[in-house]
Amino acid sequence: MLDEALVSDILTLARARGVDFAELYVERSRRRAMRVLNGGVQEATSGIEYGAGLRLFYGTDVVYAYTNDLTAPGLLEVAEDLTRLRGEAGRVDARGRGGLDFRRHAPRGLHAPSVPFDEHPKSYRLERLREADAAARVAPEVRDVECSLLEWDQEVLVCNSEGGWAEDRRVRTRLVVTTIAQRNGDVQTGFAAPGLSVGLELFDCCPPAEVGRKAGEQAMTLLRAKRAPAGAMPVVIGNAFGGVIFHEALGHLLETTSVAKKASVLTDRLGEQVASSVVTYIDDGTTPHGWGSSEIDDEGMATQRTVLIESGVLRSYMVDRWGALVTGYAPTGSGRRQDYTVAPTSRMRNTFIAPGTTPVEALFEGIEFGLYAKDMGGGQVKPGSGEYNFAVREGYVIRRGRVEEPVRGAMLVGKGPESIRRVVAVSSDLKTAPGMCGSLSGAVPVEVGQPHLLVSEIVVGGEAR
Amino acid sequence: MTLDEARRYVLERARRRGIQAEVLGLRDRELTLRAHGGRLEQLTRATQAGVGIRVVVRERVGYAYSEHLSPEALDWVLQEAEENAALQHEAVGFLPEGTDLGEWGRLGQSFDASMERKQQATLDMEAGLRADPRTHRVPAAIYTEREREVSLGSTEGAAGRYRTGVAGIGATVVMREGDSIKQSADMDWSVRFDALDPGRTSLRLVERTARLLDARPLRTGRYVAYFEPKAFAQLLWAFWPLWSGKAVVEGKSRLVGRLGERIASELVTLVDDPTLPEGLASRPFDAEGTSARPVVLVERGVLCSYLTNSQTAHALEHPNTGHASRGYRGVLGVAPTNLYVKPADGLRRERGVVVTELMGVHAGANPITGEFSVQGLGLWVDGGEVVHAVEDFAIAGDFLALLERVGAVGTDLDWWFAGTAFGAPTVEVGDLSFAGGE
Repeated sequence: MLDEALVSDILTLARARGVDFAELYVERSRRRAMRVLNGGVQEATSGIEYGAGLRLFYGTDVVYAYTNDLTAPGLLEVAEDLTRLRGEAGRVDARGRGGLDFRRHAPRGLHAPSVPFDEHPKSYRLERLREADAAARVAPEVRDVECSLLEWDQEVLVCNSEGGWAEDRRVRTRLVVTTIAQRNGDVQTGFAAPGLSVGLELFDCCPPAEVGRKAGEQAMTLLRAKRAPAGAMPVVIGNAFGGVIFHEALGHLLETTSVAKKASVLTDRLGEQVASSVVTYIDDGTTPHGWGSSEIDDEGMATQRTVLIESGVLRSYMVDRWGALVTGYAPTGSGRRQDYTVAPTSRMRNTFIAPGTTPVEALFEGIEFGLYAKDMGGGQVKPGSGEYNFAVREGYVIRRGRVEEPVRGAMLVGKGPESIRRVVAVSSDLKTAPGMCGSLSGAVPVEVGQPHLLVSEIVVGGEAR
Repeated sequence: MTLDEARRYVLERARRRGIQAEVLGLRDRELTLRAHGGRLEQLTRATQAGVGIRVVVRERVGYAYSEHLSPEALDWVLQEAEENAALQHEAVGFLPEGTDLGEWGRLGQSFDASMERKQQATLDMEAGLRADPRTHRVPAAIYTEREREVSLGSTEGAAGRYRTGVAGIGATVVMREGDSIKQSADMDWSVRFDALDPGRTSLRLVERTARLLDARPLRTGRYVAYFEPKAFAQLLWAFWPLWSGKAVVEGKSRLVGRLGERIASELVTLVDDPTLPEGLASRPFDAEGTSARPVVLVERGVLCSYLTNSQTAHALEHPNTGHASRGYRGVLGVAPTNLYVKPADGLRRERGVVVTELMGVHAGANPITGEFSVQGLGLWVDGGEVVHAVEDFAIAGDFLALLERVGAVGTDLDWWFAGTAFGAPTVEVGDLSFAGGE
C-alpha cells in the first residue's frame, strides 16, 4: 500500500528525533452495507476508508497521529508535526542514520474467503436477504422484518522502526436479522446475527432461512413472555452468546489496558486462584475464520492462542506492546484497534470458556427457583471495581429443576470476581457467537463463547412485584 | 484533491450522467491529551476527511463514500452509488430543493489557547483527583477537542459550509475506602476552552464517586426513583428513537399515530434545539441543508412532533423539522442535536433511591418496545437525608410508563454528551421496580 522507501523515511525521521520506537499503520478498507425492510431495500451503501496512523514511543509515553493524506509530503509533515509537538526537536539520535532493512511478512491466507469480495451481483445479495425475510415470518404476528448484510474487506500494513513489516487482509461478513412482532398493542423484537471472517460463503455456513427463522421465533417467544422475576437467584447461562458474561465480568479485567495501571481488580494476581476450578478461559486469535481472528494483530505481531485462566488459576493477561513495556509481561498479539483513527490497546479476540463435563440437563437439577438465560444481549464492566452487567434477551423461569415459562427484560448485575467464583458447573456444548466490543481503541469484532453453565447466584433485574 | 475539488468533481460527473446527486464533505480535527502519574502519557493529533454521496436515479436512492479523494476512487463511488440505487424497490426517493446556505464559522477563538495551557489543564485534572486520600487510581485524565468542518452541495442547488467544535475535560477515577472500591468516569464539555475548569470537574468527580463508597445491597422492591440529571440523560440517549420520524415510518416506534395525545406527565416538556448558542451539538443546517430551528416534541405531556428529515416528513405528511443526519460513511437518518427535558419547579428528595448513574443502557434498553432493565448505582434516602449508598441493583420498566409517573422535575439542568447532547434536570419517578441482592 505504501512505498518501502517512504515508510523508511518516515520511521527514520522519527528515530532521528529521539523517538524510542515508531510504528506506521496503514489501512485501506472497502465496505458494503445493505438494509432490507419487509423485502424492500431501504438503503444500500458502499465505501472506501483509507488512512494511516503514526505512533511514537518516548519510553512509555505515546504520541499518535492519523491522517487521510497518504502522500509523501503529507505523511512526512505528520511525522515532523508529531515530533515537534512532543517538544523534543533538536535532540538527535545517531540511530536515525541510514535506512531500515524490513523483515517482510506477507499474509498466508489463513482466513481468506472462498468467495471474493467482488463476486456475485448485488441482486444475489438481495435475494439471500429476502430468503431470511420470508423465513422470519413464522406467524402472522411477525409484523416487520429487517435484514442487513455487512461486508468488510480490510487491508492493513504495520511497519515499525525495529524493521517489522507485516501485512494482512481481513474479509468479514455478517448477516443481521431483526424482527418485530405485535399482539394486542404489545411489541417485542427478535434478533439473530451470525458473522465470520469469510466472504459470501457465510450464506452456506449460516443459511439465511435458518437465521431468519431464529429471529422470528424469538420475537414470538417474547410476545408470550412475562417480565422476568427480580432478585438474587441461581442462573443457568446458555452457550454461544452467553459467553458475553465472561467477556464483561472477566475478559476486560485481564487486558493490560487497565492491568498496567493497576486499575483492574485482577491486577498482580498471576498464579492465584481467581475463578472457580471448573473455569478455563481462553482467548484465541487464530481460530480459522473466527469473527475476531486475524493473522497479525494491529501492531504487526502474529496472533496466538492465550490461556488466560486454567482450572480457575490466572495464567496470563492480554498484552499489547505498551502493556508489555509497562508490566514486563510478554506481548500476546492482542494489540487491536477499530481502524487507523485510534491507537491500539490490548483487546480480546475470540474468547471462550473451555468445555466441562457436566451434562446440560444436570445443570438444572436441584434448582428450586431460578433463571435460564438462553440468549443474551450486550453488557458493560468497570474494571476498577469489577461491577458488570449484561442483558438477557430470551430467558425462562426454572422451577424445581424444570424449564418453564419464558420471561423477558432482565439485566444481570454483579461484581466480576464474585460471579466467576460462583460458577459451579460447566457443560460440554461449547459454541461461539460474534459481537462488537467497544473500548479505548474503538469497536472491534470479537467472538464470545461458552458451553451451558450454572452460576449459583446473580442479581436478576426483572420486575419487582 | 481537496474536499471542495472532490465535491465539484462528483457533481460535475453526476450532471453529465443526468442523475441527481448530493455530496456531503466532512473534515474532522482531533487533539487529545492523556495524563497519568503526573505526566502526559499520550497525545493524539489528527485529521480525517471524506465525502459521502447520495444519488437519486429514477426516484431511487443510493449511497457511497470515500476517504480516498482520487478521480479513480470517486468514479468507483459514483458507480457503486448508482448500482445501490438500482436495487431500491420503491420509487419514492428525491433530493430536496436546495438553496444557498452560506458560510458559518462557530468556533471563533474558542480553541486558540496554547498547547501548554491545554497540557496544564490535563495535568491539573489528574492532580485534582489525586488530592483526595481515598483516590486509589486515576487510569486516565483526558483533555480532548474536536472540530468539524461540514460542506454540502447538490445538483439541486444546495451549497453551504459550517464549522463546529467542542472541547472536553474529564477522567476515570477509582476510589477506595477499606474493602469498598468504586470506579466512575465523567467529562465536562463546552464549545469554549476557557469555560472548562479542571478544578471544578475533578472536585465534582471526587464527590460523586466517594459518596458511592461503602455501598450496601438494596432490597428488591418498588421505590420512588430520583434520577440525577446525567442518569436521566442516559435514558434519553437510549429512548430518543421513539421520536425519530424514521422509526415511526418503519413501524419501530410506539409513538406511531399518537400525535396530539398525552403520553407523559404534564410536568414533562421535551425540546430539541439546534440553535442553542452554547449547545454542544448546535448547527446552522442539517445534513440535507434544511435550516435549524427549535422543535418542541412533548409539551406538558402531550406529543407535539416527531423529528424528521425531508424523506420522513414527506412519508408522514408531517413538517420537516430539519433533523436529517448523516456522516459521510452513513445513510440518511434522523437525529436530535441538543435534546433536553425542560427544567420545572424543583423537587425534594424524601424517601427512595437517588439514581446517580446507569450502566449497560446500550444493552438493557430497547427503543422499539420501550422496555428497559439496566444496572444502577445510587444512594438510599429517607427523611430527606442520604442514609447510605446502594449497589448491585437493576431498574426495570417501560420508558413511556415511566414518563407518565414523573412526579416532579428539578431546576438543575445538566448535559451528557455523546456526539449529541442530552440534557435533563433531576427527575422524580414514582413506583419504579428495583431488583437487588437482598
